This record gives sequence, structure tokens and C-alpha cells, in this order.
Amino acid sequence: MPSESHREEDNFESRFIEKYLREYASVSSIVREALPFELIATVGGVVAGIILSGMTEELEMIPGLIVVYPGVLGLRGNISSTLGSRLSSAIHMGLITEIDWGNPELMNNISGSMILSFIMAVLLGLLGHLATLALGFESAGPFKLVLICVLAALSSGIILSFVAVLLAVGMFRFGFDPDNVVTPSIATIGDIVSMFMLFLAAKLVVML
Amino acid sequence: MKRKAEREASSKKAEKKSAQPCYYTVDGIVKRGLPVLSITCVLGIGVGQILNLKENSLLSMPALLILIPALIKIGGDTGSMLGARLSSAFHMGLGEHLHKNPVVHNSLIAAAIVGFVSSGSVTVLVWIASQLLGYGMPFLILLKISLIAVCIELVVVHSATIGIAFASHRFGIDPDDTVIPFIATLGDLVGVVGIFIALGLLDII
Repeated sequence: MPSESHREEDNFESRFIEKYLREYASVSSIVREALPFELIATVGGVVAGIILSGMTEELEMIPGLIVVYPGVLGLRGNISSTLGSRLSSAIHMGLITEIDWGNPELMNNISGSMILSFIMAVLLGLLGHLATLALGFESAGPFKLVLICVLAALSSGIILSFVAVLLAVGMFRFGFDPDNVVTPSIATIGDIVSMFMLFLAAKLVVML
Repeated sequence: MKRKAEREASSKKAEKKSAQPCYYTVDGIVKRGLPVLSITCVLGIGVGQILNLKENSLLSMPALLILIPALIKIGGDTGSMLGARLSSAFHMGLGEHLHKNPVVHNSLIAAAIVGFVSSGSVTVLVWIASQLLGYGMPFLILLKISLIAVCIELVVVHSATIGIAFASHRFGIDPDDTVIPFIATLGDLVGVVGIFIALGLLDII
């Protein structure tokens, strides 16, 4: 008896695996699902690159700016994407149902990610300065680099938090699963917004 | 227990309006975020230093500055997708034999296809943008740079993703928590290195 039930289980399992492979894990279905998102994300990357290529003057005037740029962009992606996926989870759990700035769950999420942005921006500026000096390059100094990082991180953080909240709640209202929409859109918008804010912050610091 | 009580008390203090403690606390979010973000921060500075080494050549060829942010994202993005798929496969118990496993195969092939197709589209977009902005970069050179860089990036990042996913599965860590932020930053690092290797091979820098 036990061997038979085993066989049945095996049968079931192999049928399940076959179905899974045919419908979910075939090469064409994965490509069809992932490629559109990736193509849109690369358009965001190209727009960010166009902004970066317009910053050559600032890059020359502020030595060390090119060192912190990948960090600032990566930070934005990591912090805002996790904010987006946390908001989606909160919506699924029914903790957030509408855009209500008095809702403590919503405000804790936003202020938590803003505090993280601030700490990481300071760390990024200081590390960027020290690493640049350690390799024997010229640096614009810790104050300027930290100021640029903090300005860029906080301003893009505020904008992206608003976008994430609007997208997550709005998508839920219109009957979409926020998990599928919020994280990829934030990743794409995040690159553009944080590169632009980095550009503005650098311009401001050059004027100081 | 004491700690838990303290945490609850502090979160209660944080929001005076509602009676029960929040599910999301500022404390919890910051504490969970800091370790991973610090690692990605250090790696990001590493990427920046590589760019800094070649700053002058980059500034003289602004078309490369357009190419870099878009191209280095591809490895991290397809790698994260691969990692997420592998970890779902592990959660469903399909990840026992690496060579025979069709989920690993198919996801890997699909991730590579997505990577190559998007690198082609990046090349076209960058070429159009550099034409419009008057940076004048021949299309063939851009295509060669992105294909060489993407090859290096995909091989390194995808092997790392499979390695990390299998390792964290074996040691009982949830791959969802570890793979994705790390792979995204690794993609940046390998992408920049790959672009410079390509530039070196083509005698551009």
C-alpha cells in the first residue's frame, strides 16, 4: 500500500511539474513577461544617462562627484523599491486603504525610508571623500560631497515616496495588483528623478 | 521578551493617536535596511572609483556617459529576475538537481535573451540620443562596446546569482532577502568593469 501511494504522489508531482514547466517556466513565457519591463527600464537608464552627459561641467568642477553618483542612484533604487513593495504588502494586509497622511502605518513607512536615505547619504558622502583621497585623487571635500548626497537623496526620496504612495493606492483602486506595477515603475522613475536631483544639487553646490 | 516589550512600548510612543502598536515601525524599517544598504553603499563607492580612474576619457566621450547607466542596469535587472525565479522554484521544491533542472535552464536562457535584446535596444537609443545631442559616436563602435560588456556582465552576474541562490538555499537563508539587493549592486560593478574591458579591447581608451 505505501509504495502505491508513493507512486501516486510521484505521478501527481510529475504532472504538476510538467504543467508548471509548460505554462510558467518555458523560455518564451518568461521572455514575454520580463522583456517589456526591461525595455522600459532601459529607456529610464538612457534618460538618466542623457542627464549625466549634460553634467560634464559639474563633474569637472566637483572632483569626487563621479564617485558618489553610482551610490546615490543605487541607494534610491534600493530604498524606494523596498518602500514600494512594503506599501503593496501593507495594502494587501488592509493596513493602508487610502491616501491619508495621518495614517501612522503610512507615515512610519515614509519616515523610515527618509531616515535611511539621510544616514546612507551622509555615509556615502564621507566614504566617497575618504576613498577618493586614499587613491590619491583630488576631492571636493567632505562637506560639499555630503551636502550634494544629502540634498539629492532627500529631495528624490520625497518625490519618489509621493509617487510610490500614489501609484500603490491608485493601482489598488483601479483593480491592479500593486506588487506587479509599483516596484518596476519606481525602479525606472527612480533613476531619472535621482539623477536629475543629483544634477540640481551639484549645480547648487557649485554656486555656493 | 523584555526587548520585544520595549520595542512595542517605543512604537506606541511614536504614534499617540492609535491605541494598538503599528505593524511597520520606523525603528524596524531602519534596522532591517541598514546592513544591506551599507554593503551596497561600499560597493557603489567602488563602482564610482573605477569611473573616477577614467574620468578624463569619459568626459571627452559623453556618449559613453549616456551608455553607462543604462547598460550596467541590464545585468542587475536580469540577475534579480533570475534570482527571484530560482528562489520561487526552491520554495516550490523544484531545485534539487542543478544540471537536470529545466527551471534553472529555462530561466537562465530567458534571462540571457532578455539581456541581449535589451542591450541592443540600449545601443540604438544611445546612438539616437548621441546623434541628437551632437556627440557623434559611430553606431558600430557603440554596438561592439555594449555586446562585449553585456557578455561579460551576463556570464559573471548570472553565475553569481545561481551560486548565491543555491548556497542560500542550502544554508537555509531565504534567497528573497539576500539575492536581489546584492545582485543589483554586483551588476553595476561588473557592468562598469565590462565596459572598460570592452573599451580596452577596442583600443578606445
